[in-house]
Amino acid sequence: MNAFLFLAAQDSPGQVEQIARTFGVDWTHLGAQIISFAIVCAVLYKFAYRNVLAMLEERRNQIAQGIANAEKIKAELDRTEAQRQEVMAQAYAQSSKFIEESRAAAARLLEAETQKAVAAAEQIMVKAREAASQDHERMLTELKREVGRMAVQAAMAVSGKILTAEDQRRLAEETAKEIAA
Amino acid sequence: MKINKRAKREAKQLFQLCLVNGLLDENRARQVAQQVASAGTRSTPAVLAHFLRLLSLDLAQHTAAIESATPLSEGLRTAIQAGLARRYGPGLTTTFTHTPALIGGVRIQVGSDVYDSSVRAGLAALEKRF
Repeated sequence: MNAFLFLAAQDSPGQVEQIARTFGVDWTHLGAQIISFAIVCAVLYKFAYRNVLAMLEERRNQIAQGIANAEKIKAELDRTEAQRQEVMAQAYAQSSKFIEESRAAAARLLEAETQKAVAAAEQIMVKAREAASQDHERMLTELKREVGRMAVQAAMAVSGKILTAEDQRRLAEETAKEIAA
Repeated sequence: MKINKRAKREAKQLFQLCLVNGLLDENRARQVAQQVASAGTRSTPAVLAHFLRLLSLDLAQHTAAIESATPLSEGLRTAIQAGLARRYGPGLTTTFTHTPALIGGVRIQVGSDVYDSSVRAGLAALEKRF
């Protein structure tokens, strides 16, 4: 406005005063108002505006810190998530490994037990065959013994009748010769 | 009755006294037994027991039990006695027994020696082989 008044004064000095009168400008009042306004501004600046600015600065700092914390938390969350994913992957891999090992152990155990069962069955079969063979041999032996006993009894029953006096004498002579030899 | 070594040794010495030409003299044995019995020492029962055992063994060794399924002729008896005398020496007492259970052949036992050529023994051996 001062520049406008200055330009207006350069163009025409009487016109400035005319304009000032037209708008009702009272330089005294204007100066007083300017001073009082400045005082108000100074008081406001000292007692209100500075506090407000400080509070705003504090709020801005808090917000910035909150944003920084949020970013930090987000980064931490991301890192935790990555760690979680890694741990999950490791756990999955480990569990898969355990499962595979368990399957292999179960397969080995099954194979061993199967072989044991087969061996036991073979042994049972062999023992059964041996027992059957022994029974067969025993029965054959008993049969031979029984047949022999019956044959000997039959021979005893008939030989006394078959042997003649000459046979008896010959047998006795053979014994006498054997003793004399 | 427990017979110790000393009693055995004394009984054996007494038994040796009873032998005449390697054969047992029964009269001398009887006298020895009577004298030992009359001694009446503490070892007398043991000595007499072993002495009797030695006499029993000698008697068994000089006794031949001959069994036959049929009665043997005199010639066969003589031949068997001669064979036994040649094998076991003189002084052998022989007893002949008729045992039809032998079926055939002769069975001779002298002490612990047995010669069994009877049919029954042959059949028993055959039965055993079965």
